[in-house]
Amino acid sequence: MIVFDNVTFGYGPKPVLEAASLNIGADERVAILGGSGEGKTTILKLILGLIRADSGHIIVDGTNITDKPEDELSEIRRKFSIVFQEGALFDSLSVRENVAFCLREFTKMSEEEIFVKVAELLKIVGVEHAIDLMPDELSGGMHRRVAIARSLAAFEPKMFLYDEATTGLDPVNADKICRLINELCKEGTGMIIVTHKVIDAFKVARRFLFLQNGRIIFDGDRPGLLQSENPDIQEFLNEFRHEFD
Amino acid sequence: MKKDLKRTVDDLQEYYLLSAKGLIGVFRRPFYFHDFIEQMDYCGAGSLLIVCLVLLFIGMALSLRLAAELSVMGLKMYTGKVVGISIISEIGPVAAALVFSGRVGAGMASELGLMILGHQVDSLRVFGVDPIKKLVTPRILSSIIMLPALTLIGDAVSLIGAWYIAVYVSHQSGYVYWNSIQYELTFGNVFLGAFKPFVFGYIISSISCYKGLSTRGGAVGLRRSTTTAVVLSIVMIIVADFVLTRILLYVLGFSL
Repeated sequence: MIVFDNVTFGYGPKPVLEAASLNIGADERVAILGGSGEGKTTILKLILGLIRADSGHIIVDGTNITDKPEDELSEIRRKFSIVFQEGALFDSLSVRENVAFCLREFTKMSEEEIFVKVAELLKIVGVEHAIDLMPDELSGGMHRRVAIARSLAAFEPKMFLYDEATTGLDPVNADKICRLINELCKEGTGMIIVTHKVIDAFKVARRFLFLQNGRIIFDGDRPGLLQSENPDIQEFLNEFRHEFD
Repeated sequence: MKKDLKRTVDDLQEYYLLSAKGLIGVFRRPFYFHDFIEQMDYCGAGSLLIVCLVLLFIGMALSLRLAAELSVMGLKMYTGKVVGISIISEIGPVAAALVFSGRVGAGMASELGLMILGHQVDSLRVFGVDPIKKLVTPRILSSIIMLPALTLIGDAVSLIGAWYIAVYVSHQSGYVYWNSIQYELTFGNVFLGAFKPFVFGYIISSISCYKGLSTRGGAVGLRRSTTTAVVLSIVMIIVADFVLTRILLYVLGFSL
């Protein structure tokens, strides 16, 4: 589904991602781990063509998107459902309007049908009572869940992408989000979660990538990650070890 | 030095592209009518009071100053004439545009900047919605329509303020005041004042949208882009006013 071939990207002279190569299948459940500013979110943005690689190739679902013009990327982007960090809900729209956004833009559904669909999606994520609230009235956890509902309304995704979906949430709400992510992946749909919370990554992913200084220094499963002899990975895991011991 | 020059050229190129696409978007589907109405309300109705207030006091101050100066030369009856030309063709459009850039331009830049930082613009792109069509075009169109309307109303309020001073403070004849203004309402003078706000509206909205959408670097970046949007708009309004006045005076056949 996603192939990175020697991809390098930087916002300035120093690369954020350096010579990254990876191959992720459509049904895989991958967690990209690493500290802040290590290039985790950059990978998601590159997959969606929101930023362009400085060198290397990115192939998504058989299509090389490296140099594809913006107007030809819509089709590729519709294969994914993304939840950005902190939800990225539209401030000026209510929860109902946010979730209905894509239904209004891209379908010919009547207002009544849209209302039913929005209510149904909000029920799936467990925030049906917040339908008339504005984004600034929502808690962090509700924010993420509404964002997930909005991303589900968009299209039939082949893969879910989550950018720091549980960051900033208390353990109870983070756990609810992880359960929701697992629910959505039940039917074999793949997902990539970018996070620095190892404990949450273990709850939802089967494969783990570890980024450091823009390089992928680990790619493997949970036992492999835990037993890694890389001192930086060990140091990173030590901070969370008390939680999963 | 070379790097700075390259960045400036890149910025200019991106600005031209965005402002052109934003304007062309008016003629191409899809049309975001709801966003357009919302922006018309924000730009127009929301700015009306402040534009009127500023122009009212400018008109009054101008009338006061001119009456005092002209009465020394025994030419007090020309107050309406000078006030009329100044406000209709110069002060009205520029003052309204400056107020508009401070209120609407800053608002546009900060709103779009915040949308960039909060990944809302990225969300639009992922959903397949063109951010320029959805965010920039309604803002440019509403500014192009509302700034001339605000200028027209502001000019009228300013002339009324100047009339009040001329009649009740400087003890001139109201009939002479309005008559001399009416005498100055020629096609050339009115066109000079009516054409500029269209250009100013485009300049303010396109610069503000561009600076907002190019926001990088958190709260500091947002402060920088909002400040730059307002400062650049103000400078460009003053420069454009001079250039437009020179061109229009030539085109309309005014002799210097």
